[in-house]
Amino acid sequence: MCFKNLPIEFDAQGKMHLREDAAVAYGLRERPGGSGPRTLSEEQVRELVARNGYIKDVDFDPVTRVAGALAFHAVADLKERKVLAANSMATLFRGYEVIMLGRDPRDAIFITSRACGVCGGVHAVTACLALEMAMGLVPPPLGVVARNLMLAMEFQYDHPLHLFLLAGPDYSRQLVEQTNPEVWEKAAAYRAPGRAWHGYETVGRIMEDLNPLTGKLYVEALHMTRVAREAYVVLGGKYPHPETIVPGGVSTTISLQTFNEYYVRLQKFFDYAKKVVAIWDDITEFFYAVNPLYKQVGARPASMIEVGIWDDPDAYDATYANCDHWGERRWSTPGAVIDGKLVTTKLTAINAGLEEFVERSYYEPWAGGKFATDPLGNPLSPYHPWNKETKPKPVGQNWKEKYSWSCAPRWDRQTVEAGAYTRLWVTAAAQKIRPNPFLEATGRSLRFKLPRAGLPEVELEWKIPEVWNAFERNRARAYAIAFNALVSMNDWLKGLDLLKNGKTEVATPFEIPKHGTQVGVGFWGAGRGWLTHHLVLQDGFVSNYQIVTPSTINASPRDPWDNMGAYEEAVLNTPLLETFTEPAKFKGIDILRTIRSFDPCMPCTTHIHAGDRTITREVNTCACGAED
Amino acid sequence: MRTLIAGVGYSNLSDLSVGPLVAEQLGREEWPADVEVDDLSYGPIAVVHRFAEAEPPYRRLVLVGAVDRGRQGPDIRCYRWDGVLPPPEEIQARVAEAVTGVIDLDNLLIVTGHFGVLPPEVFVVEVRPRATEFGMQTSPAVTALLAEVRRLVRGIAEGAPGELGCCVGGAGGRALAE
Repeated sequence: MCFKNLPIEFDAQGKMHLREDAAVAYGLRERPGGSGPRTLSEEQVRELVARNGYIKDVDFDPVTRVAGALAFHAVADLKERKVLAANSMATLFRGYEVIMLGRDPRDAIFITSRACGVCGGVHAVTACLALEMAMGLVPPPLGVVARNLMLAMEFQYDHPLHLFLLAGPDYSRQLVEQTNPEVWEKAAAYRAPGRAWHGYETVGRIMEDLNPLTGKLYVEALHMTRVAREAYVVLGGKYPHPETIVPGGVSTTISLQTFNEYYVRLQKFFDYAKKVVAIWDDITEFFYAVNPLYKQVGARPASMIEVGIWDDPDAYDATYANCDHWGERRWSTPGAVIDGKLVTTKLTAINAGLEEFVERSYYEPWAGGKFATDPLGNPLSPYHPWNKETKPKPVGQNWKEKYSWSCAPRWDRQTVEAGAYTRLWVTAAAQKIRPNPFLEATGRSLRFKLPRAGLPEVELEWKIPEVWNAFERNRARAYAIAFNALVSMNDWLKGLDLLKNGKTEVATPFEIPKHGTQVGVGFWGAGRGWLTHHLVLQDGFVSNYQIVTPSTINASPRDPWDNMGAYEEAVLNTPLLETFTEPAKFKGIDILRTIRSFDPCMPCTTHIHAGDRTITREVNTCACGAED
Repeated sequence: MRTLIAGVGYSNLSDLSVGPLVAEQLGREEWPADVEVDDLSYGPIAVVHRFAEAEPPYRRLVLVGAVDRGRQGPDIRCYRWDGVLPPPEEIQARVAEAVTGVIDLDNLLIVTGHFGVLPPEVFVVEVRPRATEFGMQTSPAVTALLAEVRRLVRGIAEGAPGELGCCVGGAGGRALAE
């Protein structure tokens, strides 16, 4: 039994049923037992602000160094050094769900790819998976392997960006010296335990090279994005927005030379992973040593969801009927973790537990739903994506009512988060990873055997952390580079085997069904974690298309029971450890570290003030956070 | 003198796609051996890598794109970029935009300028867009300007830009089409 709040129980065969004693199935009246902190009411906050000069409204609009348009409002008690209220706002409507309605389903690959300037490849693949399920289309093994190889390398673009361009500067000398000079002084003298791998004698030297624009680690990350892109296009032909991702596989020609060219790039990530892991281990442990309260920065319950990624070509058959089997055969295991405990690894249960709410978002609610069950007869909520309708309704911002373009996805009516780190956690805890020479799950950790390249072979171990916070999100993201590299290595070897055995087909022909209703779901992942596309076809055209991205999950506003979204919870739990002499000099670095540790990817709109002119740019890119 | 003519912009955004469109048109024309035509709409960081590795280095760059400056102005603005960069915080923000998918003429100049990879001579031919929504065609007003844009670009690429009346400084640039 993995559901605590939804009225679903399992029979002896593991099939889900609505509980007979459920008074009102899927009613919104009963408040589920939320695991997150509670916030003050707006009236209480107003009263505090009125009588206390240390209570401050802190608005980050936009939050900088994130992809796209995220705004965050917090009320901070600068004397008590805590956050009293928090609201996360996706500030732009993108509406891919609306754009997709009535279209030829093949358009989904190319249109949804535009949802993100970083993650175009993952949206294209996820759309293809949804179509494959709807059409009953199985790609040949080499097609599956090629997708895995491309997507693993797509994430190798994403992770360095997060670690060194977007979140990394928060730990640079430039910022730490401003916000916590006493921490910088200690860093300058703190011997770095990982110096044999990253080459820095002290944590202070690491921080210097984390400086934005000029730091060596910043510039190196830009270079590594190129290596990752080159490896991707060796297989995929083009990035962003690849045109070789098709239902039933890929449309490129793959040869031994292709694999060799890919490997030349891949091996660079073996050494890069060794270095980056050592850097983020040292940064994390240093902050904990300087002040144990840093363990509370960005802390929230370890509740997270993941649909898994990187299929086993010998197991994936694109069917919903077998998705529990092929899901658990993925290199990254699907799963739901609630309060640190893995409660399921079944894709059907993960899917049945998913709901999206719009009570605090700029949308109208919808009535009922077409699908009371999934294709296997398992119950589905009327708030499930297959039942959802996207009905935008912009109104004025009101913290007590509606304040975001992101809806509020919940799993089993609980606040969860998604990220690259979720892959590590679930895979480590589930111990379902199939036998291979490079990756091992122990139940408490994930071990990575990184081959020798320029640096010696090494075994790294990511351990499920005791506390879940901003530092652990970043640390796990560094280990995710090792995870990706070794998934690539496994798939690279599998691909060579297939070539050797003459199994060179990369795609299966298909025809779009012209009649009837078909449903499909793409269970996949972005660099930042969970990604699903729920699709309904009616007589050959798209009648519903719903995208749930990691940032939709993480940036969500409150739900119908007033449970906060993950950013909001994490910020509310964050102690304000910044050094400042007066409220006017407060920069909010601990809040920003918290938000950026999730690697927000929001819709992009940028307002730039440049001298005497204001340029408003609306650019057609990252819409991960508010695509509905 | 090794010269690169390049368009910058998103595809299929009506007038905002003038850069790629003009680059495609110019690519079909005859050019001297030392003049290349390309589309640089693939991200400023990748462009940084390209310029950094160009051998021999480019000496002149002519960028074509549409920029909505949010006010009335000349239809075509042609200027030599002065290379003045904004403060580091804004450069940092532009790099963050660049790596997360923003394709934009200003971004390209700032990011490549910051990393010091631009050719010594950088010229910009900038079109004022009228239609900025999704669309595969430019507006009639901008369509009527395309021949003049191509003529200006050719003049800069092949000739002495000063003689063509290109003026220095973007914001204060003299309009050539007036």
